[in-house]
Amino acid sequence: MSNKIIDKRMSAKEAVEKFVSDGDTIGIGGQSIGRVSTFLAHEIIRQNKTNLTLVGCNLSLSMDLLVGAKLVKRTECGSGSFERFGTAFQWRNAIQNNLIEVQDYSHLAMASRFLAGSLGIPFMPSKSMLGTDLLKSQNCNDKKHFEIIDNPWKKNDPVVLLPALQPDVSIIHAQMADKSGNIIIEGFTTHEPEMIKASKKVIVSCEKLIDSEFIKSNPEKTTIPYIFVDAVIEQPWGGYPTSVYNYYEHDSDHIIEYQQKAKAGGKEYSDYLNKYIYDCKSFEEYIEKASGPTKQKYLKDSMQKLL
Amino acid sequence: MNSNFSLDDLMVIEASRYIEDENIVLVGTGLPMIASLLAQKLYAPKMCYVVETGNIAPEVIPTPSSVCDPRVMYKAIKHGSLLDSLGGILQRGLADIAFLGGAQIDQYANVNSTVIGDYNNPKVRLPGSGGANDLASHAKKILIITRHEKRRFPKNCDYITSPGYLNGPNGRKNAGIPSEYPEIIVITNLCVMEIDKNTGKLVITKLMPNISIDEVLTNTEFQPLIKSPVKNVSHPTQNEINVLHKEVDPFGVYLKTH
Repeated sequence: MSNKIIDKRMSAKEAVEKFVSDGDTIGIGGQSIGRVSTFLAHEIIRQNKTNLTLVGCNLSLSMDLLVGAKLVKRTECGSGSFERFGTAFQWRNAIQNNLIEVQDYSHLAMASRFLAGSLGIPFMPSKSMLGTDLLKSQNCNDKKHFEIIDNPWKKNDPVVLLPALQPDVSIIHAQMADKSGNIIIEGFTTHEPEMIKASKKVIVSCEKLIDSEFIKSNPEKTTIPYIFVDAVIEQPWGGYPTSVYNYYEHDSDHIIEYQQKAKAGGKEYSDYLNKYIYDCKSFEEYIEKASGPTKQKYLKDSMQKLL
Repeated sequence: MNSNFSLDDLMVIEASRYIEDENIVLVGTGLPMIASLLAQKLYAPKMCYVVETGNIAPEVIPTPSSVCDPRVMYKAIKHGSLLDSLGGILQRGLADIAFLGGAQIDQYANVNSTVIGDYNNPKVRLPGSGGANDLASHAKKILIITRHEKRRFPKNCDYITSPGYLNGPNGRKNAGIPSEYPEIIVITNLCVMEIDKNTGKLVITKLMPNISIDEVLTNTEFQPLIKSPVKNVSHPTQNEINVLHKEVDPFGVYLKTH
């Protein structure tokens, strides 16, 4: 049966060359310090794709790296936060210096926009954000970012309509996928199921490439069927320094190092990008520089203790 | 009186006292999470903790750094999606309590976590709404916990990220917010303030031990109403202090250890 399966495996280099273009709207997977698609974000930075619009919920490290590398013109998201480790500082600095456009939404609003996109309908009604300044600022460009109507079935009941969002391409890092792109996400899935199904193209990296027979024997485990996915790359540690449930814990030391550099900006930050991205021949080289075998064992053991 | 506690400790302990058993509670991380976990250990063992990333009813391991931390996924009954948590439970109207922090809280209990200064010309950009706006729009009761500083309590927020009573007693209803007249309780290290439903404004209802009204007013930019007679926040029991320090935040991640 294996000959019936479409093989979407390719390198990250190939996938980004093929599916990411300058000016694209990119859906960003993961959240905060969990399952962030660092591996694919690094590759986009290496290929210097510019003029990007980034969309998602709490976009922490991927967004901050892409903004810090000066590849982003606009973000539409719910927050830029590493939670206990602070704000997304490069993103913050870019906003404070008017270097990027921002459209703020709540997390549910962003998930609702992806849901509309995934259902092929033009908008989704919501009862979030009403009365607040999140619905006061249609100020980024000439597109309407929301519309408030009266509920057709109930008088004096304002409802906000949110435009569907279909990213040109989404990048996510999952625990497992088979070569055709059937994805298994373990643990929380945040906004990813709707975002992936709404996206025109999807690149997925995974900790472990699994046999398609495993998917067929355990279909209830499939988070996303292959029909939504365009490229599959096996990349252990692809979410580092954030955590990947069942595999490894987040690396506080490296997150703190990143946050210090991102907050300082200037040469300190460009040194970080050089050391860990531009001067690395591969993502593995970054992982080795940033963590090493002892740290890696610690992060794996630490996750096992939390399961 | 127990002297081995700080007002920060008591702020968290007092906040935990507003959660009832079997409540469905939507919480992020930080002090709101610490207070909810304390409640679960002390008064609300059957509380259902819902995390916006999709985790439902985990047995939280101390001390998580994030809503994505595996420590908020342990022994959950479901690892779901953000749409499950913020849509299917919260917007659906099933959340009894939402628990927030915030950089600014104004006289109507509106919360700002987006920007200090003008949105288009920010002095300091903050992380943004996250799920906070959703929590404040849909929960039946809203708890807000924050350290009491003058700059945190302006007359009006620079930006309203999450709705309190907006601009008056019917502000929420007029805007179409589903939870029209929720209780809102603000717990700080100096006092407790609650929304007065007749005015839609915050009223000081309780004071922390050895804190005077004047001290609260000096540290608040707006003029809160004062409920007469103003009560005192009950001193913590030894058990409350022990559970907080030994089980909920044993490494002093969010609260200084003693």
